[in-house]
Amino acid sequence: MEITEQKKGSVVLLVLTGRLDAGTAGKLEERLVSLINAGDRSFVLDFMHLDYISSAGLRVLLMAAKKLKGLNGRIVLASLKDHIREVFDIAGFSAIFPTYEQQDAAVGSFQ
Amino acid sequence: MSQTLKVTLHNRLSELERVGEVVESFGETHRLPPKVVHAVTLCVDEVVTNIIGYAYADQADHRITLRLSLQADELAAEVEDDGKPFNPLDAPEPDLSLPLEERPIGGLGVHFVRKLMDGVEYRREQGKNLLVMKKHVSA
Repeated sequence: MEITEQKKGSVVLLVLTGRLDAGTAGKLEERLVSLINAGDRSFVLDFMHLDYISSAGLRVLLMAAKKLKGLNGRIVLASLKDHIREVFDIAGFSAIFPTYEQQDAAVGSFQ
Repeated sequence: MSQTLKVTLHNRLSELERVGEVVESFGETHRLPPKVVHAVTLCVDEVVTNIIGYAYADQADHRITLRLSLQADELAAEVEDDGKPFNPLDAPEPDLSLPLEERPIGGLGVHFVRKLMDGVEYRREQGKNLLVMKKHVSA
């Protein structure tokens, strides 16, 4: 999995490419924790190029969302493919994470 | 054209990518619907992830066997490991209605298996765990 990072105002945009499974989730966890520790509070994760997610990926998102909730921050998601959306639905995560069809709208949700 | 595919995996998380490739290529060979391929990939991934994480008390190299087979309109995915006895079906169902702060961090993998597969069976045989997951392949 590749992670590219961009700053859009105060929003951190992370574009994930590839597979988010138990073998790669640690990489995202490290990145999110270090950004949160550095003071970032607003995150957009763009899944346009994400092909696959397992519960290990969801676990990292949940961990980060919990951390951010206590810090008045949040994570929103953009561009979920249908089969990834289905994983979120089955896990009951669609109620926890705001999701947007487009990256722009996700970034704009912080304004 | 063989209806059964057997693959031996090592107990390393980097093997999960291979799980995806193997199920995908089996799906291509048998022209299975993408939804079925994804469901089986995810469930095998979750089961193998659990085995790698919890089945072994030592740090040694272990083999996990994955068998995919197709009979009529049913795909069977069998995962066999020589780890400690563990029946994933004994795990309690997670409460998905809990708010963010109270959601436990684990338990979702087995939930996916229960939700996405049409049948799941666990057996302990000759010192090995055998989990058989079945999925109808009609689109």
